[in-house]
Amino acid sequence: MPGIAFTINGSRREVQAPGDTPLLYVLRNDLELSGPQFGCGLSQCGACSVLVDGKEERSCTLPVSRVGGKEVTTLEGLPGRWAGQHGLAVASVALHPVQQAWIDEQVPQCGFCQNGMMIKAAELLEQTPAPTLPQIKNAFMTGASPHLCRCGSYAAILEAVQHASMLIARQKGTQQ
Amino acid sequence: MTATLSRRQFVKTGGALFVGFGLVGRNVFDASAAAAGSRNSLDAALASSWFEIHADNTMVLRTGKVDFGQTTAHTAYKQIVAEELNVPFEAITSVVMGDTDRTPDGGFSAGFLEYGGTNLRKAAAYTYQALLDLAAAKLGVAKSALTVQDGIVSGGGKKISYGELVKGQELNLTIPVTGDLTSMFGLTVTGDPPMKPTRDYKIIGQSYQNSVTPSKVSAKETWVTDVRLPGMLHGRVVHPKTLGSTLVKVADLNKSRYPNAQLIVKGNLVGVVAPTEWEAIGAAQQVAADTQWSDWKGLPGNPDLHRWLREEADWKTTPPAKGEKNKGDAVSARSAAVKSLTTSYELPFMKHAPIGPTVAVGDARADGTFYIHTHNQNPQALRGQIAMMLGTPIDNVVVRIYSGPGHYGRSNGGNAGAEDEAILLSQAVKKPVRVQWMRPEDLQWSTSSPPAVSNIRIGWDASGKITAYEADHYMPAMQDDRLVGALLAKLPTPPAPEASAPAGSLGSTVNAIQDPWIYERVPNVAETGYGTFQIGQKASPLGIGLRDHSMRTPGQLQQNFPRELAISEAAAQAGIDAIEFRLRQSDDARLRGVLTAVRDASGWQTRPSPSPRAAANGGTPVTGQGVSAMLRSGTYWACVCQVSVTPSSGKVKVDKYTIAVDPGIVVNPLQLKRTIEGGALMGLSHALYEEMTFDQSSITSRDWRSYPILTMDDVPEIKVVILPHPEVGAYGGGSEAANALAVSAIAAAFYDATGKIARRLPLKSAYVQSVLKA
Repeated sequence: MPGIAFTINGSRREVQAPGDTPLLYVLRNDLELSGPQFGCGLSQCGACSVLVDGKEERSCTLPVSRVGGKEVTTLEGLPGRWAGQHGLAVASVALHPVQQAWIDEQVPQCGFCQNGMMIKAAELLEQTPAPTLPQIKNAFMTGASPHLCRCGSYAAILEAVQHASMLIARQKGTQQ
Repeated sequence: MTATLSRRQFVKTGGALFVGFGLVGRNVFDASAAAAGSRNSLDAALASSWFEIHADNTMVLRTGKVDFGQTTAHTAYKQIVAEELNVPFEAITSVVMGDTDRTPDGGFSAGFLEYGGTNLRKAAAYTYQALLDLAAAKLGVAKSALTVQDGIVSGGGKKISYGELVKGQELNLTIPVTGDLTSMFGLTVTGDPPMKPTRDYKIIGQSYQNSVTPSKVSAKETWVTDVRLPGMLHGRVVHPKTLGSTLVKVADLNKSRYPNAQLIVKGNLVGVVAPTEWEAIGAAQQVAADTQWSDWKGLPGNPDLHRWLREEADWKTTPPAKGEKNKGDAVSARSAAVKSLTTSYELPFMKHAPIGPTVAVGDARADGTFYIHTHNQNPQALRGQIAMMLGTPIDNVVVRIYSGPGHYGRSNGGNAGAEDEAILLSQAVKKPVRVQWMRPEDLQWSTSSPPAVSNIRIGWDASGKITAYEADHYMPAMQDDRLVGALLAKLPTPPAPEASAPAGSLGSTVNAIQDPWIYERVPNVAETGYGTFQIGQKASPLGIGLRDHSMRTPGQLQQNFPRELAISEAAAQAGIDAIEFRLRQSDDARLRGVLTAVRDASGWQTRPSPSPRAAANGGTPVTGQGVSAMLRSGTYWACVCQVSVTPSSGKVKVDKYTIAVDPGIVVNPLQLKRTIEGGALMGLSHALYEEMTFDQSSITSRDWRSYPILTMDDVPEIKVVILPHPEVGAYGGGSEAANALAVSAIAAAFYDATGKIARRLPLKSAYVQSVLKA
């Protein structure tokens, strides 16, 4: 079986798996990454979201063969991604601003969906560092489906994305 | 539960509070570490089973409750214990939750403050007194002359830390407990130890952060989905074609396509295991496609549900339940009333719908022990049920708990779904097996929140004072704790809900009055609950049918929705503002407090309903307001929803949700606010979207398209007003009620906006349009 090679959280890896295996199972079972979660297996909830070349994708239905040669970022890779984008040493960044904001605002209830919520927030803020409230709401309605939270943490998520935007602005101010 | 603790051997901790680290923490990837842990129980009579104080004055706290996202175990429980013991919040560096061999008390993970919180508060209070006794002897100072701050005991010019005090010492202390560990309720700490006066609280009332949040947001948490054991196989279960189908002929496994998979059949339980998850999924799909099941049609189908409940269900076998506050002669008073209202309300089946389907790893070991790694609201009850299913002593079963998706009550009787199937497949292949339900299975084979029909009759006098309130509530049983895998495999389970429930369970068909009556000025009250069996359960050859389980605000949502909406309807007919009308029915200062607070905070317009601008047609949105109130677990709640309705499209949108809450003592305002916000949005979801669909054979809600829930688009402005009343002296619950309050407030607001009353949920476009045209 030929291997499938892609970049995962900054490192190049080759995996041995049937090409139709959904990326999620490869990430969780072969690469032992625990950020993306199995929520539906149908691209209907967003718990499994990852960034593929910077775009939010549902790993539960995305065949691993489709990410060959691409750059995949999971929740684990968000701090490193932020470091790389801002010329910082990877070791100096423990948390992406989105993750810090999620702690500061105490967003999670059960937290099972928050992987996808943070991936979506990171995608949004890379494109739009200072989004309006309607832009934030809209972001979580985009992709293969709306991002679902059963505990109802949506209000906390809205506050946290605004908080992350403020953290990003503050960090950029510090760098200048 | 007929299984008992047959040969319980307690972990030997010798009564000392200082015990080794070996019992704490978890390392499931290391089989030797798991084996070194006891397969038995902790002795809840020992302080060391609850708390572990280390030489450096840090502490471990152990609770049988499992945090499902309310954050209670990681914030409120630490605050309660730190407060009673006079140690800093930060001194409690670890919380062990749920593991049946590592926690003392068991019971369901619900009513966290009322049950588990009281246990911990008392256990800590007993321990504090014992520590003072120890310090008095050690320092040679009278106990009454000792003071404690930050875990340091001082007196007579001398000081000693708890850590130094307990090192190698025996505590002369037995914590009195009562109850059955593996029952629904677990153990209860009894007696009345001296407790810290609430006026001296320094830690309770502060907004501490949840110590688990950093690991959850940085992918460092060990979730239930992450458990991997050496040699573990991935399993999938091929569930029957319908909720009553038995196995006719199982398909052959296609070994050329799935060379490493194995097929397991036990009664009607058909399972597949394979070394990789993708092979297990493929093999299960292949077997499912070719396996033959008998046909079964024993359900009314959801379009006919409420007619069936009214006309065909058996409400006679189960004794009716009377409200505790029933008084006077409501029937006579209503016929004498100046005006009266007779209405009827309907609620659908709803799903708990955890965002992640149930998953568990079963490990049937060669030494006759059974380890289950799962995410469950009642691990000790599960332990008892698994022992019963397998016919093994409870001591042989250990349940280990991990973080996972919220269950909202579905597993509070010990059954999340995958556990029993995982252990049965593991037993068959003699290797650990991980069973992950897929999304359709989690909606179609899990329990549901039961539907309801309520008939309400209200009479009032010329001054707008209610003179008679009558309610007849009808709802099928809501606590089925049978393991579905055991039913399929024809193995022993606890009984299905029957008219009389076994002791220590909630599994009866009696429909108790769950919504406490709060309008105590009403002189004549007659509330009656009528119960029945689960729909299709007795007719199903599998004994399955539509199984139900308590959800979030169990039974109370089903009774509060009709009560509060009917009272809003009565207020409208009386021509009185809906908040003012409620205030006239009660002198209770706490109820009046939340009602006036929510009125002031929400921008409520004081006027009768419907709105002067109400309209039931046209393409322009019309707006309205609605209110509701509730008493739950010692907490008073009132909520106002403001909605927009677009009559032509039938679209209902909630613009603002305001809630006022008086729980007595507020333990953690920040976490309370977040939990309330979550509950509020779940309530919007119930009101606007949620209805489990089913045909004559099966549940047809199978994914997030056929069972839609609230999305970000629907999020309104949310305002939470917290009204602390520490003089009450108790911590009222805070994680349940916001959802139930939303549904009646939204329905009342819909009436205010349109002048038309919708007496059932959800308010989907087609139903809304039919109501507006009526």
